[in-house]
Amino acid sequence: MEVWGALIGPLGFAVKSLRRRGFHSYLAFLGLALTVATTTFLLLLGQDLSTRLGIDSSMRSTFGISWLIFAYLVLALGLIGIVGLLSTSYLVSSMISQRMRDIGVIKAAGALPRRLLSYVTFEALLVIVSSCLVGALSALLVYASWSWPSISLFKQVGPIANAGATILIVVPMISFLLAYVVASFRVRRIVGSSSVDAISKQLANLDLKSLGNPLRIRRFGSAFNLATRNVSRDRGFNKTLLSIGVCICLSMVVLSGALVSADTSASYVVRAMPPHVLIVANSNIYNQYVSLATSFSRIAPLPPIDYGNESYIISPQNASAFRAIPGVQTVDTRLITMSSITGYIKAHFASNQDTGENINTQIIPEVDTGSTDALIVGINATSAIGDWYTSDGFLQSVDAPYTMIAGDSLVGNIVQTPFNLSQVSAFGYRYDVKSALVDPLNAGRVLYAPVQTLQKSLGLTGFNVLLLKVNNDPTVLSSVSQLASSFGFTVGSQDPILKSNLAFLNGIWSHIFLIPILSLSLTCGILLSYLATNFSRRFNDYVVLKVLGANVWYRLRLLLWESWGVIAISMLIAIPVAWAVSIFFLIPDPIVSIANLELSTIVSASALSGVSVASAAILSRRIGLTTVKDLKP
Amino acid sequence: MASQDEEIEIRAPGLAVDFVDVSREYVVNGKILKALSSITFNVKEQEVAVIVGPSGAGKTTVLNIIAGLEKPSQGEARVLGLDLNGSNEHSLSAFRSANIGFIFQSYNLVSTLTAEENVELMMELAGWSDSGRNEKLTAELISMVGLTDRAKHLPAQLSGGEQQRVAIARAIANDPPLILADEPTGNLDQKTGLEIVKLLARVKGEKGKTIVVTTHDDRIVEMADVIFRLENGSLGSVDRPARVRS
Repeated sequence: MEVWGALIGPLGFAVKSLRRRGFHSYLAFLGLALTVATTTFLLLLGQDLSTRLGIDSSMRSTFGISWLIFAYLVLALGLIGIVGLLSTSYLVSSMISQRMRDIGVIKAAGALPRRLLSYVTFEALLVIVSSCLVGALSALLVYASWSWPSISLFKQVGPIANAGATILIVVPMISFLLAYVVASFRVRRIVGSSSVDAISKQLANLDLKSLGNPLRIRRFGSAFNLATRNVSRDRGFNKTLLSIGVCICLSMVVLSGALVSADTSASYVVRAMPPHVLIVANSNIYNQYVSLATSFSRIAPLPPIDYGNESYIISPQNASAFRAIPGVQTVDTRLITMSSITGYIKAHFASNQDTGENINTQIIPEVDTGSTDALIVGINATSAIGDWYTSDGFLQSVDAPYTMIAGDSLVGNIVQTPFNLSQVSAFGYRYDVKSALVDPLNAGRVLYAPVQTLQKSLGLTGFNVLLLKVNNDPTVLSSVSQLASSFGFTVGSQDPILKSNLAFLNGIWSHIFLIPILSLSLTCGILLSYLATNFSRRFNDYVVLKVLGANVWYRLRLLLWESWGVIAISMLIAIPVAWAVSIFFLIPDPIVSIANLELSTIVSASALSGVSVASAAILSRRIGLTTVKDLKP
Repeated sequence: MASQDEEIEIRAPGLAVDFVDVSREYVVNGKILKALSSITFNVKEQEVAVIVGPSGAGKTTVLNIIAGLEKPSQGEARVLGLDLNGSNEHSLSAFRSANIGFIFQSYNLVSTLTAEENVELMMELAGWSDSGRNEKLTAELISMVGLTDRAKHLPAQLSGGEQQRVAIARAIANDPPLILADEPTGNLDQKTGLEIVKLLARVKGEKGKTIVVTTHDDRIVEMADVIFRLENGSLGSVDRPARVRS
């Protein structure tokens, strides 16, 4: 190191400068390394989760719910990337600003701008390269030590080799390039400015326009009033507020977005399978229906069964008998069957305008989109119990007889959008597709058609499954069971199926929640870097206050107001924006629980406030260790 | 922050500073470095005491101990009657904010506060909560040091001499009985330094403060009631100039 330090040139200058600035160099390196490490790790983790969930949900779940989960993950990872890059540029900018006075002194001493530029850029480059390397390495170590096999949800997926190699290279590389560009830009600006401006460090950092009427609230005391002056007279205050505000806002979107998405996905399941519903069917059909309903959350083979067997059929008279039981609110009569279906896109006209004013119209012939086995549910539109999340509404009594609603897992392959051009062929008939819905039944590979049409196609007159919406009275179950046993049918509650499906969803989200929690910790880290940078910049003022007789409480209150004040203002701006984004833009038809929004706000505010209190306590203690000799001329 | 009620009863008749066999040692890289060795001296109330000596003689260490910023390794140090050895950090802060005014060689004004705010801050640190009175007193002090037209300027917008004048106003803002000045003219040119010396003399004459100054400036030495000469951490000589003796 001594040999390097003795060299005359950019390397020697950079090494000497970094060594002599010790504490400040360390803070800059630490802040950057922490940001690169956390961003890289979070993106690795998110990519790993997405891959595993993709493999897992190809066997379970439905397309609609998987899409919701992946959309959230992509959004969250995108926002984390933005937070990481924003933080990187802010930290590099602050790092260069701290060197402003030294650059001015060297320039005033006669250094050629070109040479000065290379010296300072090289110094910044040393910090940037080392922190990007250490950050990437730390992210890899934490990621490698992550024990996925211990998590039950992902056990069956197993390890994924080389999943994050690209991220591990690309994220630190982008961070490096951004940091380099920001550093070069800042250094060029300082080198290009007048030496007088650069030498007067205080003038460079202070905003002389805001001297007029500083905020003064007597009841908050002297420390508060001093803190408002310190913060508001900082030239970089608006930039700091914006950077921290954006970071908090994006973290909040990631956090509240996870809560809203989790609630919404659960609501899709609950709407398709509402609670307090009894299933009445022949025991074979009953077991088959339970398997179909739980195929959303567990992989189990579906045995072939003759759905149209005479002994399984419930006559309309028997179905009516259940309506007469007190406590039964609705009887949803269904005829279910499994069949091979084929999808089509109808022949249609397509128009397109060429470069002139001519409109070309051409006929697109019918397209076969493929075949698959799907569950077809004949349902009475007026007595359907489910309140599915649909794209264009559920079946109505006025709909044409050969109309179907497609389950979400069929959309994108058998059933194509726009739905008005889509048809499905089953039992030799063509059905028009009206809409799509999210339904856990048969993991979304389901089609709903008017029950009369299906009965006609199958040559049957009754139903094979009844869903009874009942009230909370426990005597209803016994009444229904009594009647069902008299017809030779089995009765069971749909609630355990719902519970199992929701538990599966909760399992997925409980793992995904690592992302928002870690993204919040990234924001806390950024905040910590800002507080540390600010502290080292104003170190002399704090020491003066101590020497003049500011006691430990005064110093603590001052630091607390300075740090928490900035966070509070940032949060006041960021949280409403984050709420609005989460509620209105994040997902379609969201379920917004006020409790969840409050929870995300409380968690974020507590974490950020905790960081500010902890840093104020640590920095106040650090001031306590100083003496007059720490004052710099 | 300590209120005025919490202030310690510190008055002892006659002596503002009383050092008996005071030593101060530091451990630097595992080695013991003796900054002061067994020095005994006292400064009477309303005296101007000047501490002279070469760099590294221990002048600043003496000021730090008087201010309660450092404690003696050995010996007894009493300032305005307060036993520094037996006081904790909190009571020393309260003691400083109420009883001591500081003037530094490098001014050390709070960079984010204007000249008048720097002065007013000292009153707030001393627990003076009547802001109307504080503002009035601040205006008087700023006027006294001749900076009324520069009152709303930041330290970075003031010259060295102006900053030092603000520092003097700040040092007497909380009406402390004791003022400590560490080479107050060290960074100033002859003419500006003379203005500061005159201002200090005025503070002594009009306000009747006890002043302890470390300096190399003969013009300040001429103001002294007592001169302590430090050499290698020891008290070489104590001199009471003839005008005082007569």
